[in-house]
Amino acid sequence: MFLLWLRIAAILYGLASLAAFGAVLGDAPRWRRLCMPLALSAWCVHAVSAVEMLVLAHRWMPVGMHEVQSILALLIATVFLFIALRYRTLSFGIFALPLAFLLIVVPALGPDKHTFTSPVIRSGWLLLHITALLAAYAALIFSLLASLLYLIQEKRLKNKRSPGFLNWLPPLDTMDQIAQKTLVLGFHCMTVGLFAGSIIAQESVGPSYFSDPKIWLSFVMWGLYVIMLFVRRSTGLRGRRAVYLSSAVFVVMLCVWAANLLSSVHRFSAP
Amino acid sequence: MKILLAGLNHKTAPVELRERLAIAPESLADETRALLSHPGVREGMILSTCNRVELLVCYEEGEPELARHLNQRFAVDMQSLGPHLYHHRESEAVRHLFRVASSLDSMVVGEPQILGQVKESYTVARSVGAVGGHLERLLQGALAAAKKVRTETQIGSSSVSIASVAVDLARKIFGSLEGKRVLLVGAGKMSELAARHLMQQGAGSLLVSNRTYERAVQLARKFESHVIRFEDLHTRADEADILITSTGSTEFIFRTPHAQQFLHRRRNRPMFIIDIAVPRDVDPDVNRLDGIFLYDIDDLQSVAASNLSDRAREAQKAETILEQELARYQRRVESLDIVPALVDLQAAAEDMRQAELRRAHSRLQSFTPAQLEALEAVTRGLMNKFLHQPLRALKNAAQHGDLAAIEAIRAAFAPNGTKGSAPPDQSANYAGSEEPAHTAKRRDG
Repeated sequence: MFLLWLRIAAILYGLASLAAFGAVLGDAPRWRRLCMPLALSAWCVHAVSAVEMLVLAHRWMPVGMHEVQSILALLIATVFLFIALRYRTLSFGIFALPLAFLLIVVPALGPDKHTFTSPVIRSGWLLLHITALLAAYAALIFSLLASLLYLIQEKRLKNKRSPGFLNWLPPLDTMDQIAQKTLVLGFHCMTVGLFAGSIIAQESVGPSYFSDPKIWLSFVMWGLYVIMLFVRRSTGLRGRRAVYLSSAVFVVMLCVWAANLLSSVHRFSAP
Repeated sequence: MKILLAGLNHKTAPVELRERLAIAPESLADETRALLSHPGVREGMILSTCNRVELLVCYEEGEPELARHLNQRFAVDMQSLGPHLYHHRESEAVRHLFRVASSLDSMVVGEPQILGQVKESYTVARSVGAVGGHLERLLQGALAAAKKVRTETQIGSSSVSIASVAVDLARKIFGSLEGKRVLLVGAGKMSELAARHLMQQGAGSLLVSNRTYERAVQLARKFESHVIRFEDLHTRADEADILITSTGSTEFIFRTPHAQQFLHRRRNRPMFIIDIAVPRDVDPDVNRLDGIFLYDIDDLQSVAASNLSDRAREAQKAETILEQELARYQRRVESLDIVPALVDLQAAAEDMRQAELRRAHSRLQSFTPAQLEALEAVTRGLMNKFLHQPLRALKNAAQHGDLAAIEAIRAAFAPNGTKGSAPPDQSANYAGSEEPAHTAKRRDG
């Protein structure tokens, strides 16, 4: 049944994406009125699907690529809805809604064949570890997006271009706030995720856990994150330099994500 | 009922004349009553804005002399009024009203105020009983057309004045203007206007600075704001989020090092600088700094001009919508036009009467001319009495715009009527050969 919900959610995300394009790029009020109800419906159906999927599996942790993609899409949609309601802007919908749609298209086609079972996956710490890190990724995606849009808007205003194709871009201040707040949210999520991961690894792998380069990379990323937040806070860094800094952290984050595939810790090879 | 619209606007009359005819909102009701009492006027409405004064009336016979009315009410002689006055009749009057309500006839095409002004005039006219079925339909049509133009085109979405372009740009930088501080440096009509506009749009507070301290104090009093001494300008300008400068200085007042200091003290929070002065007060290189957005008068004017051309493009779309709405209105009016139905009804009854008289011709041979005349009068009287009720019901239905009732009466009393366009022989056929057999038999018996 959860697959049916997921398919409905995919269709609704698709429609919401089209409405977002119409509302943002076409500046059509009719599409604007449709976009949020469609996105909210998609999110509700998606949430029902995710809960049902995990209840059926008798665990709360997403396992396998399909489940992880579905949960990441749900988190991205959640952040988008929060931004849309808080800042009254649908602009992020033209990125977030298609991304959510693309992330759940494959999971919606059928159940994941490549999955695994392990007693570890029923651990509460592991659930916290994965959920918090996925939330951090979702927040960082929005932070980077907001920073890039800030840059484009800043360039437009500097070049004194008349309103045209990019007239839909939100105000600079709104994008700065979104970039800053999602960055802080991402940091908190990442800290919780790494803390939970460290506890699990200590218990299940032991001291050898610290010799994993992936773990080192994770802590390097966290350290970079702290530095970036400190610099932004202390100097009020905005604009181009802030985007470069956000991008750097995002690239490291992608490296950590890629390193997941190589790390023995994340293969659950240890008992 | 016929429609007549007479008036003058910014295209046809100078402001000196327009201001003599302008009607204050509190006098609009009295003036509308006066218009209604003008000979021949059945329904009427006055639209008075800073750019136009227009009288719209519905009448039945004898076109009302609206120029004379203006001449009498406003003591403007006919000679100075005549060349500036325009008259639109029937469909031209409808088209003009639709264009006015949709802001296509405005000085600044797409400006939003005119729709509110038309609504206000309509409300006042209704309140004094000057709006009947005809004007009601016309105004409803015009307001619906204007609403459609607003929602389906971008005609009013971009700013076309320097002050509103400045507000738009400030919004693109800061989002909401709430709590933002504006610093006005120097005095100038345009800079004051921009500052006033920013304050009206929600800017939190205003600071004023001028080379002449007394002038700054005067300005500050005018805006209920605070003064920054000109000597302290470079140390305190960073307090403002938006800086409007318009001094007579021949040298730059703000250069890149000053702007760098502002940014440093503002912890890189953006700053919007509007330089309206000629020669300019701010070094253009300042715009290169991250976080500083500098617009001079040419920049603002070029944005306004670009927006204006966008509006012109949208106005073309609006004209197409207006044509559709005019056609829709025309169809509705035609379907409510009861004259053809009245003609059909009367012709059908008259044909029936004539047919009955012809049928009884052989039996009327013995009648004297006086008796025949009396018979003619009696049958005509009966016919008129019979028609009285349906004709009155038809007129009432038309008055209330009740299309269903009009169709029902048409179907009941003149089922084969062709809205008055039927050739005479067709009417004769109806009354003669197409008469139901049982009716003819009963009459014969």
